[in-house]
Amino acid sequence: MMTMNKVAAYSASIAVLLFVAVAPESPLGLQLLPEAHAIVGAPVTPVSVAGVARRTTRRTVAVASTTATAQQQAAVAQQPASAPAAPAAGGQALPLGTVVPALPAGCTQLAQGGVQYSKCGANYYRAVFQGNNLVYVTAQP
Amino acid sequence: MRVRTRWRTRRQLAGLALALASLAAAPVQSQGPDVDPEAARILKRMTDYVGGLQQFGLDTANTVEVVLHSGQKIQFTSAAKATLQRPNKLHASRVGDVVSQSFYYDGRTLTLVNPDDGVYATVAAPDTLDAMIDFARDSLDVIAPAGDLITTDAYTRLMADTSSGFVVGKSFIDGVRCDHLAFRGYGVDWQIWIEDGARPLPRKYVVTTLALGGAPQFEISMRNWTITPDIGVRQFEFTPSPGARQIEFLPVSNAGAPR
Repeated sequence: MMTMNKVAAYSASIAVLLFVAVAPESPLGLQLLPEAHAIVGAPVTPVSVAGVARRTTRRTVAVASTTATAQQQAAVAQQPASAPAAPAAGGQALPLGTVVPALPAGCTQLAQGGVQYSKCGANYYRAVFQGNNLVYVTAQP
Repeated sequence: MRVRTRWRTRRQLAGLALALASLAAAPVQSQGPDVDPEAARILKRMTDYVGGLQQFGLDTANTVEVVLHSGQKIQFTSAAKATLQRPNKLHASRVGDVVSQSFYYDGRTLTLVNPDDGVYATVAAPDTLDAMIDFARDSLDVIAPAGDLITTDAYTRLMADTSSGFVVGKSFIDGVRCDHLAFRGYGVDWQIWIEDGARPLPRKYVVTTLALGGAPQFEISMRNWTITPDIGVRQFEFTPSPGARQIEFLPVSNAGAPR
């Protein structure tokens, strides 16, 4: 179980999150959000040939570079690529279902109904797998 | 510039290394007009051979590239072990730059585990390996690296969107003589190195993404193939460690647009 300290430490160690979205329209459906330093590649580099043509699923992927703060992370941590990366820093409430790749700093834990939530500012998050990636989605306990 | 991804690169299924191919030996078919018949033959010999193996284990070294906007290319590396038993069992564990992750498939359920995070997710899965791989990709967005090579219809899958291919020549991978083949597919180029001998096993596989600037590549090297792996009784069954927390998979519809 990931402790809050661990989460905070880890979050602080990463930085600016950027998104690469794969949309059905383009060949590999690549669309980049206009984030500075965005990283293209890893998450959308196919690791298998079969299914590449079939994979038109639009996906949002976050990639981090190193030096920023958890707040910056949260600020760009947004879900669907089609949605502009609205700032999520501080205690600002996010729409339910917003996916972030890492929790902001300073969360507390809450277990309810068998589910563990992290309360970070105005938002509750629960951990989920999005594909192979462990991410956090805003939820209502 | 130091760069990290926060998540495991999404298509790197827990080191799902690969393996498997065709039980039913379909005839060499449906190559594009520009596929050299010899390249098709060598590829199909591999898929038939691997598909006929009832069980095996192997180690893999995986490299996936990301390209920064500056054009600088960065590689992330992971190592994985995989064990497979036909028709419907698979276990893979991956240790890498970004995350350690294990994958269990016992013919009934599929489990993804992040041991360091103390979380896992389990869902009901189809009862064959091929169907499970499709299910994982389509419904969960969980993709087995080089999973193409391990289904029983691997040849068909690999060639479905391939427009051309040829034999590059002989090459040595880990000291083993191989046939080196190169293909062009849908949005990707791919290469494969297949042992030249009685055991036509894949030894290396490279997928080059054409639609991305910098043409980042995924590369997987396969070694230590064992066709009589030591398979434990519980090998494919996941048992949560004390304190591990069960979480869910985000539905694909929530992760992005429907296919």
